[in-house]
Amino acid sequence: MSGFWWLLRAEWTKLRSVRRWTLGLLAAVPLTLALSLLTGGGSGTDLNDHPEELGPIGPAGVPVTDNRNFVHQPMAGDGRITARVLTLTGEEGFSHEWAKTGIMLRESTEPGSRYAAMMVTPGHGVRLQADYTTDLAGSDSTGPRWLRLTRTGDTVTGYESADGVSWNRVGAVDLGDLPPTVEVGLFAASPGRLAVETSVGSSSTGSIPVRIIGTLDNVRVDSTQPQPTAQWQEDDTSKGFVQGPVGENGAANFTEADGVFTVAGSGDIGPYVPDDDVTQLSLIGVNLGLVAMVAIGVLFITSEYRRGMIRTTFAASPRRGRVLVAKATVLGVATFVVGLVASLLAFFVTQPILRSNGFGPPAYPVPSLADGPVLRAVVGAALFLTLVAVLSLGVGAILRRSGGAITAVVAAFIPLLILVGGLPLTAAQWVMRTTPAAGLSVLQTIDVDHDATAEPWSMAPPLAGLGVLAAYTAAALAVAVWLVRRRDA
Amino acid sequence: MIRAEWTKLRTVPSTAWLLVGAVAATVAASAIYADSINVSGCLSPAECPADTTKLSLGGVQFGQAVVAVLALLAVTNEYGTRMIRTTLLANPRRITVLLAKASVVTAAALIAGALGVVGSLLAGRFILDGSGYPLPSLADGPTLRAAAGSVLYLGLIALLSLGTGTIIRDTAGAVTAMMLLLYVAPFALALVSDPQLRERLHRFGPTTAGQAIQATTDLGQLPIAPWAGLGVLAGYTAAALLIGAVLFTVRDA
Repeated sequence: MSGFWWLLRAEWTKLRSVRRWTLGLLAAVPLTLALSLLTGGGSGTDLNDHPEELGPIGPAGVPVTDNRNFVHQPMAGDGRITARVLTLTGEEGFSHEWAKTGIMLRESTEPGSRYAAMMVTPGHGVRLQADYTTDLAGSDSTGPRWLRLTRTGDTVTGYESADGVSWNRVGAVDLGDLPPTVEVGLFAASPGRLAVETSVGSSSTGSIPVRIIGTLDNVRVDSTQPQPTAQWQEDDTSKGFVQGPVGENGAANFTEADGVFTVAGSGDIGPYVPDDDVTQLSLIGVNLGLVAMVAIGVLFITSEYRRGMIRTTFAASPRRGRVLVAKATVLGVATFVVGLVASLLAFFVTQPILRSNGFGPPAYPVPSLADGPVLRAVVGAALFLTLVAVLSLGVGAILRRSGGAITAVVAAFIPLLILVGGLPLTAAQWVMRTTPAAGLSVLQTIDVDHDATAEPWSMAPPLAGLGVLAAYTAAALAVAVWLVRRRDA
Repeated sequence: MIRAEWTKLRTVPSTAWLLVGAVAATVAASAIYADSINVSGCLSPAECPADTTKLSLGGVQFGQAVVAVLALLAVTNEYGTRMIRTTLLANPRRITVLLAKASVVTAAALIAGALGVVGSLLAGRFILDGSGYPLPSLADGPTLRAAAGSVLYLGLIALLSLGTGTIIRDTAGAVTAMMLLLYVAPFALALVSDPQLRERLHRFGPTTAGQAIQATTDLGQLPIAPWAGLGVLAGYTAAALLIGAVLFTVRDA
């Protein structure tokens, strides 16, 4: 082990004493920062000036999504609503996994008001959701299923049942200061179908509104106090203006016949998710920073070959594979430290600029390093640069020519991204999931549908993407170790 | 002198590979671009207008990397092996040496470029056949201009790269600089979301302006006119060569 320690020290001394390498390594910081600043300075949004596009403000004071069809009546005092979900059917054969229909209890019909709801979803079974962010899982049933919400003071408890006789408690939520009379009823909502259109070199993503049609029966409202009226009213905030008769009565999105209620709606009830990932935007500079990492990684080995120094190195330490591993270790640690400085600087310097260009609250919450995904993106950006540097070392050791190695590794990133922009979606996805460029996925902080985005760096899950890059790096190093042991120096 | 430079270029094994690579990269990437045309969302091609010539020549974006590496290696390799001292000893008139290198490299780039461009157009014709779009043809004025301009574009990129190589003298540094110029700069520009600022920057970028020569439709929408765009690139090339020539004459080899 002391032999390896000695090797590490020798490689560290080489890395730090060649001034050109130190400068090249440090260049990753200004390069990363420069591209992030250019992108941040050149990007803007006026979404905050158009609160109507943002959605209502929810109970926590932040924008929420509250698009659904709610068929309701008032309920005075404590009480409960019960219904059985029979079916939920998406239109044109498409059911979003988070489409939902069921029963709901709301403070009022005001968009953004407090609520609790029991629902059946096609992809996630029975759920109890409340106040746009609470989500408790019930059984895996996708219907038919009996659902019940019981109000006791400010607490609302959700139950489900297979037969309407024996009930299972799913959970309870506290809705704060509920008024004496609340609105209870049936609801339906479905997120849209995401579609990516690629044509002639450019792609765009769009959400096509989709209705979910829920049928429910055995609807009952029981209250400890006399009921004001028992007239059902429709409050439809469906998104995408999907209107049209679902039943023979010709009512917009709601019909009732022989105790069977049909409710259709589109949109979603939940947190507001910004379209742009401001953390990802502020870290985009690694695309430029990586060029410095490639140059250093390649030079760290090829310049030894060119100057014949490698013979001295191998003469001093005949176990060539270990020399390469020592080089990779030293390079990895050094580039990670520099990469972390670059990514932290890019993040903290670009964020205020993005905010002043419109990417601020309420439409875009201020990202904080205390958030798991943000921390993952910032540290991931540094790891990305590290992996690119070590990959370059491996490719440099394999090719032994700096020109070829630098071209080869750089070509695997930006020129590839440019090419991907002109590819059909499935081909682009394949490229962005199986080549080293997949590592760029680690910059994401917002959950997006990886199959339905035109952004090349969002086509793979964050950690899986970084894993692909890590696999290439490991493979390049392994081939390099094998080759240096076999070849003459 | 030109013969000497030609012999040097010809006898380095990487040259042949790079020339073949430049043609192959251009044609292959062009074919991918031409194949990406998607008419499934349109009732007829007339509804989704596409610049089939520009699309068919898209591979030039990739061939340029290989041409650039070929050109800068002609200089940096000599510095790497100290051969430059022998060259200058045999012919102390440095400007002549640089001009000879420039001629040979440009000739190689133009030949590879012409093959790549013709190959790309043929691939485009083959792929687009039956799509309903007009097939790119050299008999068409704008297409001829785009094709000839693309070959010239590659020649200018080679000279720009040669100038950069002469300035930097080191393979790794010069390759990195050219990669930044050819890819990272336009990539960074595309990330600027303010359309006015982006268009202004596009007008001054060597590659973004130079590639305007490939457009055959909607010429009014271009950030810069085709020949003016190529002129911008020529300006960068002239500047790089001039700085390179000055440094080449005043510096020790």
